[in-house]
Amino acid sequence: MTIEKTLNGSELNIAIVGRLDTTTAPQLEATLKESFDGITKLTLDFAALEYLSSAGLRVLLAAQKTMNKQGEMIIKNVNETINEIFEVTGFIDILTIE
Amino acid sequence: MKKRRKLQNTVLCSFSLLAVLLILIISFVVSDQYIHKEMENCRKTAFAYTKSAAELIDGDTIAHYLETGEKDDYYYEILDFLNSFRLNTDIQYYYVFVPFEDDLVYIWDADALKPDEKEEDVDACELGYHEEYMEGGKEATYAIYKQDPPEEIELANDEKYGFIASAYSPVFDSNGEPVAVVGVDMYMPDLQANMREFLVVVMVAIVLVVLVAVLLIFFFVKKRIVTPINKIRDASRSMVENLENEEAIKVTVDTGNEIEELFDSFKQMYGDVKDYISKLSAVTAEKERIGAELDVAAHIQASMLPCIFPAFPKRPEIDIYATMNPAKEVGGDFYDFFMVDETHLAIVMADVSGKGVPAALFMVIGKTLIKDHTTPGRDLGQVFTEVNDLLCEANSEEMFITAFEGVLDLETGEFNFVNAGHEMPFIYKANGGFEPYKIRAGFVLAGMEGMKYRAGSMMLEPGDKIFQYTDGVTEATNINNELYGMDRLGEILNKVKLGTPHEILPAIKKDIDEFVGEAPQFDDITMLCLEYKAKMEREENAQ
Repeated sequence: MTIEKTLNGSELNIAIVGRLDTTTAPQLEATLKESFDGITKLTLDFAALEYLSSAGLRVLLAAQKTMNKQGEMIIKNVNETINEIFEVTGFIDILTIE
Repeated sequence: MKKRRKLQNTVLCSFSLLAVLLILIISFVVSDQYIHKEMENCRKTAFAYTKSAAELIDGDTIAHYLETGEKDDYYYEILDFLNSFRLNTDIQYYYVFVPFEDDLVYIWDADALKPDEKEEDVDACELGYHEEYMEGGKEATYAIYKQDPPEEIELANDEKYGFIASAYSPVFDSNGEPVAVVGVDMYMPDLQANMREFLVVVMVAIVLVVLVAVLLIFFFVKKRIVTPINKIRDASRSMVENLENEEAIKVTVDTGNEIEELFDSFKQMYGDVKDYISKLSAVTAEKERIGAELDVAAHIQASMLPCIFPAFPKRPEIDIYATMNPAKEVGGDFYDFFMVDETHLAIVMADVSGKGVPAALFMVIGKTLIKDHTTPGRDLGQVFTEVNDLLCEANSEEMFITAFEGVLDLETGEFNFVNAGHEMPFIYKANGGFEPYKIRAGFVLAGMEGMKYRAGSMMLEPGDKIFQYTDGVTEATNINNELYGMDRLGEILNKVKLGTPHEILPAIKKDIDEFVGEAPQFDDITMLCLEYKAKMEREENAQ
């Protein structure tokens, strides 16, 4: 998995390429943790996300909770498979998906 | 094992070899120099004799003596001169001759006898005596028969005359023409004897000096290098044998050079290694302890899941079987089933996000809360809503649980269920096959406070089965990174659909194992199958 980070003032864009699973989730968690300061809009680009496991969902949930306090979090370019995961797990109710 | 040579012996051998070599070279050089010097002395002396005689002799008288053969006063005067030299020096033959094309003619030849000589030893030639040249004698004679002749000594080892050095100088007449040759033959036995004597003295001196030098160097090397190195060797050997033996490194090496540095580094290393090993032992012991505790934890966790089958031998209406294969020692998956009351059976299938001890601890909380809150007649939506709020309070690590709970009314076949983000179950309808049953899922448990969950409901007929599982099944991955998936699961389920729950689950596990092959298991694999075999007779009917 690779993480492409672009910071634009208080807007942070993160594109995730590859698999977000047990082995790679801690990497995203660490990246987010060090970038949260002063961010009011976090956009996650899932165009190149191949796979999302429950460990990945946990990171998304934590990010959503953090952003609820300081701004908003948007997930874009969600493909059908990932969207199904969001539906099955009920995450679709708490995430903002464009 | 390779035979080891002791350093000391190696050093001794090399020094001895060096000494022998040194002695050989020195003696060769010295004897060469000595011979050179002696030869030079010999040459100078010989030519001094010939040149002084050549200068003394009046060249103009030679023709007269050659013609007449008469000896006058001057002749005897010169002969006396030659004789006096012969008697008082190493000269063997001292003579004057005139060289001709075919032979040579003697003019003077010293004939005085030394004290230990006899007439025949000297055998002097008379004036006018003709003699054949010795081999090479003519060429040697004519080579010096001129002004400023080369002064090279002739060496001959003749059987008759022995080892002889000869020197020749020309005699000139008043016109400066060469008219005769003065020759000197000197025996050289003394030279060789002298050299031998000299060499013996020199060699003894050299051998003594070299031996003393070698011994000094050897003892120096031994004291400053060999002994300290042996000390280091002993220390390291004893360290290898027994790390606790500190006596070994208490020796001192104070050579003040690199060897002392080496020993200091060794001592430093000894300390480091000892520290490291003791730390390592502590860490290993700690690790073993944690491993043992994890084993215990895994046992406790396993024993928390109902694992005695058949689970309800007195309930012919139902047959249930469940398994869990954790990916790590302790897992985050769990299943549960229990009688809510006499007529209601609850089944639970859940997956805690993450793995290991944190997931296992959270699982215990989740499992307990769900079982606690599932009370007779209670709406399952309400159960999950309350459990969710309680879990959110106890969740500092942002974990969550996907969970499915269903309660079957054994009398009516009504199956109420609630889904918090969990996989959809497969339902088997008698005379049909296993189909995934789409349920609108609620949000995962412990994800967010205040979430509302709604229960769903369906009717089961005798012969129907429910198969519920965690994502460890559908997301089992083979070495090509392919997922096992819902489709494969559906296929295998329908292949074994007629079996009992106890037959179905092992068949699926086997199918998963074959698919995964050598790839490692990443997630817990948990499955549960419930068969509703017959409707329970209502109690009022039974009475």
